[in-house]
Amino acid sequence: MPFKKTPQKFSAAIKTVEIGTGDRKIVLGGESVMPLYSFDGPIENAPKVGVEIVDTGYADAPEGLKAFYAGCDTMAEQAKKAAAMEGADFLCLRFESADPNGADTPVEDCVAAAKEVADSVDLPLVIMGCKNNEKDAQLFEKCAEALAGKNILVLAAKEENYKGVGAAAGLAYNQKVGAESSVDINLAKQLNILITQLGVSGDSIVMNPGTATAGYGFEYVVSTLERIRLAALGQNDTTLQMPIITPVASETWGVKESVTEEADIPEWGDRETRGIDMEVATAAAVLAAGSNGVILRHPQSVATVSRLIRELM
Amino acid sequence: MARFITIGERIHCISPSIREAMATRNPEPILKRAKEQLDAGATYLDVNIGPAEKDGEELMKWAVELLQGNFDNVPLCLDTANKKAIEAGISVYNRSKGKPIVNSADAGDRIENIDLAAANDAIVIALCSAHGIAADNDERMMHCQNMLERGMELGMEAEDLWFDPLFLVVKGMQDKQMEVLEAIKMFSEMGLNSTGGLSNNSNGMPKHIRPIMDSAMVAMAMMQGLTSAIVNPCDLRLMETIKSCDVLKNNTLYADSYLEL
Repeated sequence: MPFKKTPQKFSAAIKTVEIGTGDRKIVLGGESVMPLYSFDGPIENAPKVGVEIVDTGYADAPEGLKAFYAGCDTMAEQAKKAAAMEGADFLCLRFESADPNGADTPVEDCVAAAKEVADSVDLPLVIMGCKNNEKDAQLFEKCAEALAGKNILVLAAKEENYKGVGAAAGLAYNQKVGAESSVDINLAKQLNILITQLGVSGDSIVMNPGTATAGYGFEYVVSTLERIRLAALGQNDTTLQMPIITPVASETWGVKESVTEEADIPEWGDRETRGIDMEVATAAAVLAAGSNGVILRHPQSVATVSRLIRELM
Repeated sequence: MARFITIGERIHCISPSIREAMATRNPEPILKRAKEQLDAGATYLDVNIGPAEKDGEELMKWAVELLQGNFDNVPLCLDTANKKAIEAGISVYNRSKGKPIVNSADAGDRIENIDLAAANDAIVIALCSAHGIAADNDERMMHCQNMLERGMELGMEAEDLWFDPLFLVVKGMQDKQMEVLEAIKMFSEMGLNSTGGLSNNSNGMPKHIRPIMDSAMVAMAMMQGLTSAIVNPCDLRLMETIKSCDVLKNNTLYADSYLEL
């Protein structure tokens, strides 16, 4: 019997969300097909790859990454380097040092650094915090204000601070709001509803429904992403039609495969290669499950994943 | 599975204010009822203009354009015995939010409404009775089969015939209720869509009882596979029951605010 190709057709679509301005702005979402299923229908906006820049620097980074940013003293200098990476669509500034339980860098200093980056590069910007809900809410508000008109994405509003973050970034300064939940599909939907009920338009929300490194409870991540996409497209659930962004680097560079030095377990081989492998494998998997954008750290990962996307489109 | 589809029944010429508004082409009362129903969560709106023998075509066109123009091309269910009026309504109908529904055909004198739906790429409500209420489910399913075949011979997709078992009034026909529910199960097992005037079951009951009976009926009918119903969407208890059943049937993903959607 001859093979009959039956495209999986959906009448619903993922919303499109623009980040950044001018020629380099990016558009996430818009598709009416399952992730990467370009054989079922057009995917006008290919998934995007962002480069993560951490404000704590690269002292513990593997040699290749350290060498890449050698001589960069500020985030702005790092940003210029990162912007030149092959495959970089946007930049993500992660203010890890803002953590009150760590260096507790004042919000003003973070904002000044973000502003300097925005003045140095024209790539769209995503701002990540330190995972302290209160500090992040202040940080996002001030960044949204200082970078007004730059159309940034703050990553992200959570159940604990969505009111402040949504009102400041989404309403007062008209930026894009990330909605973050931790691999909890019902909460992912609820958070989108709550942020929308604040008055933030559905076209200004990007979801981060949580992630993990491949191999670390990752099957829950995959089933969550897929269930979200199936509800959005198959059930026309408008509360779940926001594009998805996944910060991959901040997960994968913390697992033992990426931090253990070769000297400690020689049979595992080169640490940097392992770290890149974990980052690329996780990114490819979340893209296949539903992400419209991934945030990576290593130049080789950025180049590899962006090439993968190009080949599949 | 797709979410349960509600067809709001409150734009009906039996209501004196709607009849008056239709006669004088006064938009306000009609728009007000449409808004109430859409705010309450109706998917489709039924537009019942009665027999409309005289000016049905013009009236239906006016109503379709009025409602779709004001409510982002809301999908409509065109409800009249006047076939020409239904065709006139479809001629100005915008399909971007869903095909028009022809309300309704039966297996008797109104069987030609299936032809009308087929010719106009519309959905049709197919009432499983011919002359009076079907005596039993053998008769109901015979009508169902005949109407299905007729539609498909005319090129319709089976999914565009929404079979109506005819909900019966409890006060007087209490012993027939399970039979109606069994008919819905048979439609569902054949993969067919179904609908009906659900609140007919509580006809004649005190006002405060009806939402309770209607909610129980919709829950049991959804369990059997009912895919749609013609209802009063302003009945909060009923709509909350439908939303809850949609969650339990995994037709929609649960979130704490699911009743507010």
